[in-house]
Amino acid sequence: MKIGADDLDALALGSVFLATGGGGDPYIPKLITARALEEFGPATIIAADDLADDAFVCAIGSVGAPTVSLELLPSIDEAAGALCAFEEHLGRKVDALAAFEIGGGNSLIPLLAAASRNIPMIDGDGMGRALPEAQMMTYAMAGIAPTPSVSYDYRGNVRHFDCPDPLEYEGIIRACAVESGGMITTVEHPMTGAKCKSAIIPGTLSFALQLGHLLEQNRGPAQAIAAPLADLFEGTIYGPCRMVFAGKVSTKSSRVVGGYDVGEAIVEPQDGGGEPMTITIKNEYLLAQIGEEIVASVPDLIVIVDAETSIPINAERLRYGQRIAVFAIGAPGVYQTPEALTVVGPRYFGFDHDYVPFSQSVT
Amino acid sequence: MLRIGIDVGGTHTDAALLDGDRLLASTKAATSANVVTGITDAFDAVLADGGVTADAVECVMIGTTQFTNAVIERRELAPVAAIRIGLPSGKGLPPFTDWPGDIAQAIGGMSFMVAGGYLYDGELLAPLDEGAIDEAVAQIAQSPLRNIAIASAFSPLNAGPEEFVAEKVRAAIPDASISCSHTIGGLGLLERENAAILNASLLPFAGRVVASFEDALVQRGLTCPLYISQNDGTLMDAGFVRQFPALTFASGPTNSLRGAWKLTGLEDAIVVDIGGTTSDIGVLQSGFPRESYNIVDIGGVRTNFRMPDILAIGVGGGSVISPDGSQIGPHSVGHRLTSEGLIFGGTQLTLTDIAAASGALKLGDPTRVGDLPREVVKQAQETMHSMLNRAIDSMRPGGRKLPVILVGGGAGLVQNTLDAATEVIIPENSGTANAIGAAIAQIGGEAEQMLSYHQTPREEALAKVTALAEQAAVAAGGDPASLKVTDVSETPVPYMDEGAMRLRVKVVGALASKEGAAK
Repeated sequence: MKIGADDLDALALGSVFLATGGGGDPYIPKLITARALEEFGPATIIAADDLADDAFVCAIGSVGAPTVSLELLPSIDEAAGALCAFEEHLGRKVDALAAFEIGGGNSLIPLLAAASRNIPMIDGDGMGRALPEAQMMTYAMAGIAPTPSVSYDYRGNVRHFDCPDPLEYEGIIRACAVESGGMITTVEHPMTGAKCKSAIIPGTLSFALQLGHLLEQNRGPAQAIAAPLADLFEGTIYGPCRMVFAGKVSTKSSRVVGGYDVGEAIVEPQDGGGEPMTITIKNEYLLAQIGEEIVASVPDLIVIVDAETSIPINAERLRYGQRIAVFAIGAPGVYQTPEALTVVGPRYFGFDHDYVPFSQSVT
Repeated sequence: MLRIGIDVGGTHTDAALLDGDRLLASTKAATSANVVTGITDAFDAVLADGGVTADAVECVMIGTTQFTNAVIERRELAPVAAIRIGLPSGKGLPPFTDWPGDIAQAIGGMSFMVAGGYLYDGELLAPLDEGAIDEAVAQIAQSPLRNIAIASAFSPLNAGPEEFVAEKVRAAIPDASISCSHTIGGLGLLERENAAILNASLLPFAGRVVASFEDALVQRGLTCPLYISQNDGTLMDAGFVRQFPALTFASGPTNSLRGAWKLTGLEDAIVVDIGGTTSDIGVLQSGFPRESYNIVDIGGVRTNFRMPDILAIGVGGGSVISPDGSQIGPHSVGHRLTSEGLIFGGTQLTLTDIAAASGALKLGDPTRVGDLPREVVKQAQETMHSMLNRAIDSMRPGGRKLPVILVGGGAGLVQNTLDAATEVIIPENSGTANAIGAAIAQIGGEAEQMLSYHQTPREEALAKVTALAEQAAVAAGGDPASLKVTDVSETPVPYMDEGAMRLRVKVVGALASKEGAAK
């Protein structure tokens, strides 16, 4: 499969949906990737299963605050520069690239690097959505060390990291991003083709593209898109997808959860009657509840779309008065094990309750 | 204070004469090909009606859509040289990226990218590359381009690099007209740069438009100050508009919302401005228009102007009705209503004909719609009401029902109550709400910064950004003592430290009293 500049609108739309409110606005990553695909030609996409077991694979993406890129714009040669620095550091050529996360702008960075360097990108990612921290990637969960890795900043400064513990590594690269203008590109998690096959969430790139096409073709009321969306998610690595609420954002405020400020949006039901839904936000939409009842919680996907156009709404853009629909989607199975839930479950994010799979509430 | 508000729209030029809070006279006339004549005619009408002499008028406020229309229609636009300060970031995304081809062709003169700018934390992005700046300025000096836009990374936090380059340009090209992005928009380099480019491109036209307004005042012996209304319903003085024409882009809808507020005194309401082709629905919050949070597209170019949140639907006096009354618009006969509508001797069944047939409007020749079946009239009215109800409903904040104020030339088309409203109000003089809105406008200013409440405590941050907004308001002609904060928006920056915030503050106040202009 090839992905060219013409596919980017659909891919970005699908990635914003899967970003569950986070991942940043993909407009700028999309612009710079489009430039690269126009200049170097479409990127080649391969299935994880087609990797040779001894292939040399790494994950590439941006770390930092996407809002910063509104001013500190990315450059067309950054991803390729990072990759070259990585290859130089490890003394070998990379055969294929994997994405950190399919949600938001990080779905596009490997594409940009793949096209610039004419190597394939693997159809899949390490999150199946957007999540804030490196140790939440399935690569880390599969026991693949994040390092040796390199970071590359807007000036072309390269840093090398050797820190096998994913949690410590996350702290170090986050600090590095803050020190380097707020955004860096990192190349990490060197792995064999065999390891990658066992760790990656497969097929999410082509799925995001399909999802984007579906959203493009069904620009209209969220009610009307609920059934085609449920069909699309059926039988994929995700659990069931259902529209769980429709209404209007009546307040957006903040409260403290686990010592951190988190945002909270209250959505009044569409036709006046009934209890409102509360959505808790920390970078992404993490929790949806009606009264005390938990409708969906991280790592399940909570997605908010515009009620009239079905365009997904980023948490930064969610505003008082907006008419929205809320969708919940079961997380990929890999996130539902007790071990995985210790790093991506509600308690990790400071909530005082266990994970209740959304799939259980769907009959 | 005696003042005249004028709204120069695409089809109509409206004027209102106010003494303090009291409306003395108003007028509505077709916009003439010669804008000056339209304005002088409007002056004559309201001065005669109000029994006031020209020398008694203390202030004239004009709202105009001429600059918006120029961008949309790709006319009166001067080519621009754009200088971006931000390398080594942004390679591959030069100025004019993602512009529609036709407007890029009309405006895109030259573009340069040089090293420099700042980071989010106030550190230097890169040292300014003076050699590259001198080289760019020299190339522009040799070209015929004299309109120059300058944008620098994080210039809302530190405008130093933009000011440095502007100084270099002024020194080398004395007749240059310059727009610096930090004077026009908030965070978002590409959008702010686009706004600066559009503004630079409009500068020569702005000079001509303002001169024509001033000419109209001189012709009628008005020696008072002239103000122009901007996007958020506040004013800028004439000298300011010559530098910032792009800030007028949404003044039309804003003025009608503010006029509706003035006419009713309602702080929170929904305003429906029914014109010839569309009904524009907006929301009043504390007497000011609710603003849109979306990226605003002007003629296909992304900008980050703050605009009122307006929903336009195809219901207007000239909207064409299907024979059974079940379909309204979106096609409209527009300003040809007075020749193409049934009651004016034409052959098109329009919404105005329906209102005349129902007896709601006394207009034209009602006998020409005498044999229109009652069911068709009833059906068309139902269609109109359900379209308006649905649109109003979608604009209601927080599920609350609010009063609905009808303004504009087509306000009389609605007779029934609207289910989506607590009550429907058609104020007296609703036809010239936009001119009244222009007449009562105040001065405003806004500023936006990205900062951390850990480094800069919230109170200090608010004070800092408020001071910047106040500076902007004073530059636009505001009285420093009268400025009040009307809006504070705090947006946490995701994936950053706790406390990282985008903070925007808006202030509004009275006109500075100069040459007789007062509160």
